[in-house]
Amino acid sequence: MKRPPMLMHMRIQGQRRGFGLWLPLFLLLPLALVVFIILSPLILMATIILWPSGWGKRALFTLRAAIEIFWSMRGLSIDVHSGRQCVSISVV
Amino acid sequence: MSDNKKKILEMLAQNKISADDAYRLLSALDGGDGRRESTSKAETAVKGKAKYLRVTVLPNPEKERSGDYDRVNIRVPMSLIRAGIKLTSLIPSEARDKVNLALHEKGIDFDARNMRPEDIEELIGALSDLEVDVISKSGESVRVFVE
Repeated sequence: MKRPPMLMHMRIQGQRRGFGLWLPLFLLLPLALVVFIILSPLILMATIILWPSGWGKRALFTLRAAIEIFWSMRGLSIDVHSGRQCVSISVV
Repeated sequence: MSDNKKKILEMLAQNKISADDAYRLLSALDGGDGRRESTSKAETAVKGKAKYLRVTVLPNPEKERSGDYDRVNIRVPMSLIRAGIKLTSLIPSEARDKVNLALHEKGIDFDARNMRPEDIEELIGALSDLEVDVISKSGESVRVFVE
């Protein structure tokens, strides 16, 4: 079974200043779940209303794809240096 | 031709072994080679499960020492690529037609609508053999590979 990403580390370094940020994704997951549960009646209504036009199906598919993409992000690492500037993102 | 096969043929030429013996020995050698080949294929299949697509751009060592250089190191999980390809079905039909037309103009006959899940798996599988290694005149090295 695929495990969801737990932490995201971002580091941006400019010519003079820079900052790093650890984002605890494992804390955001329960929060996102709560928001999803609260909004689920609205999502369901919107899906039913938009279903005949074809957008409801597309919206559901988008939601599923977004969750799948988030779940697949574990292991992603981007590291770009240009002189003294650098952008680094890693998901663990 | 392997050394063993050469030796067998030399022995046959020198009449040290009969033609039947040479045939048997050569068949045995071919069988061994076949087994080796199938073993190596199995090993490739085991280790061939690609997990990440890597893109690296490494600077010229001299430039790196001077501090004026660009360096890129990207690692993308294959599962993310798989999920991303699935998103092509979300592209609105008008936009998809434009993309297809632009690809056709470039000589690429590809329609994202015809992409099935089996094709995605085949594409990801084929990526495991991918290896691009380019070294520019300025000494920069660009590598795209799968690990």
